[in-house]
Amino acid sequence: MKIDTGKCVGCGKCASYCTMRGSIMSFERNPRNPAKVYAVIDEQECVECCVCLRSGVCRQEALYQPDLSWPRIVRKNFSDPLKIHPETRIPGRGTEEMKTNEVTGRYRSGFYGMALEMGRPGVGAWFRDVEKVAMAIASLGVTFEENNPVTKLMTDKRTGRINPEVLKEKVLSAIIEFLIPQEKIPLLMETVEKIAREIDTVFSGDIISRMAKDGSIPYLKFFQERGRFISLNGKSNVGLGRPRHLED
Amino acid sequence: MTHTLHRRGDRENLSCDYIVFTMSAKGFNEEGAEVKMGEFLKIMLKYHPVNFGDMITGNRFVKSEEEIRQNIHSTSIMHAVFTDKSTVSKILRELKEKDLGLSVVVTGIHDNTEECCREAGLRKHTTEHSLGIFGSLKRLPEEAILQLSTMCGHAMVPANLVLRMVGEIKRGQKNFKEAALELTKPCHCGIYNPVRAEKLLRKLVPLLTYDS
Repeated sequence: MKIDTGKCVGCGKCASYCTMRGSIMSFERNPRNPAKVYAVIDEQECVECCVCLRSGVCRQEALYQPDLSWPRIVRKNFSDPLKIHPETRIPGRGTEEMKTNEVTGRYRSGFYGMALEMGRPGVGAWFRDVEKVAMAIASLGVTFEENNPVTKLMTDKRTGRINPEVLKEKVLSAIIEFLIPQEKIPLLMETVEKIAREIDTVFSGDIISRMAKDGSIPYLKFFQERGRFISLNGKSNVGLGRPRHLED
Repeated sequence: MTHTLHRRGDRENLSCDYIVFTMSAKGFNEEGAEVKMGEFLKIMLKYHPVNFGDMITGNRFVKSEEEIRQNIHSTSIMHAVFTDKSTVSKILRELKEKDLGLSVVVTGIHDNTEECCREAGLRKHTTEHSLGIFGSLKRLPEEAILQLSTMCGHAMVPANLVLRMVGEIKRGQKNFKEAALELTKPCHCGIYNPVRAEKLLRKLVPLLTYDS
């Protein structure tokens, strides 16, 4: 995002709509007219989410979105949910994941689906940190979701290495999505906690499973017995999609 | 995409927070899905959601019902937000009867949504839980602010906007309801819950002090 310094009156109202908490904005004085102050966006830190522009908060219409080229376009693809990813054909930065699982059979018995959403909530993440986490869990033999925008940026899905051209790009969030055999959960959680200490951002973790035949949720016991956090709320696919996947 | 997951809160304030949504499975039941989604929206509106929207078009507070309806695509993701579980039970029962053939997801406190499914004669197929936040936690805003900002899973409701609304309420420029609606607008998909937001603001505002 950019600000037309000729139009900006320096009111600072757009900072309230900055998903990076406004810390990426500063004010400068016009050297030719010292009475005039305008806001400037730190382009290195801006994630191109477009929330400020869409809010319509700028009465001067000073905010504008310049054309973005590779690799900067990656910021918009991951940060602005109105952008439809060409690969997933879904608006937003994620995938269908569990939402259509009774039809796609993406998550099978014996496996958990997991996602580590880098930069969420509201902090943002550099792809160098996304790569660090992806590489740490890749070593455990996880299967990255093929149809996921982060996986599409990997140059090697066995190692989790990401295209070096995007490592200096910052996004509002990026979801590392994978399948893991159920028995590997203890090792995965150890790895996740270790790598979490080595990055300069936050990430939100989640876990997905088909219900067990007896109606229980297979992963609950592991987290509850170890006193690990697991949310009391969440998503449930209620199985109304057709045609049903063969496993059903 | 986990846009309705990771909503932070406690049992009390999450008990008025339910989202029901649908999408097509690409390559499986995408064809003709737009018609079924129109049916889905019709059912949702019958139960008076506090918010609704399509990820492609926007939410009810920035787009008209007509615009949302007319712009439904087979790749749409249609959402509606409700505040009580008995309504969700009725909705699920009707969705089961209508048998649209599209996947339906319900987000809320798991025990409660389990009850809703049981009452509607449905069994959950797949579940998803949040495992919380990891990493450099010092970079996060306060928990009370997170409870308001995380209702938009795409992080379109900035922490600074929450603080600005708190300030505007304190200065008498907005009432609680108006501030809650202002927070609802940037959440494009229509999954932000303005009723819960108002309740949370009523608790948060007295706790924050601004000097002159």
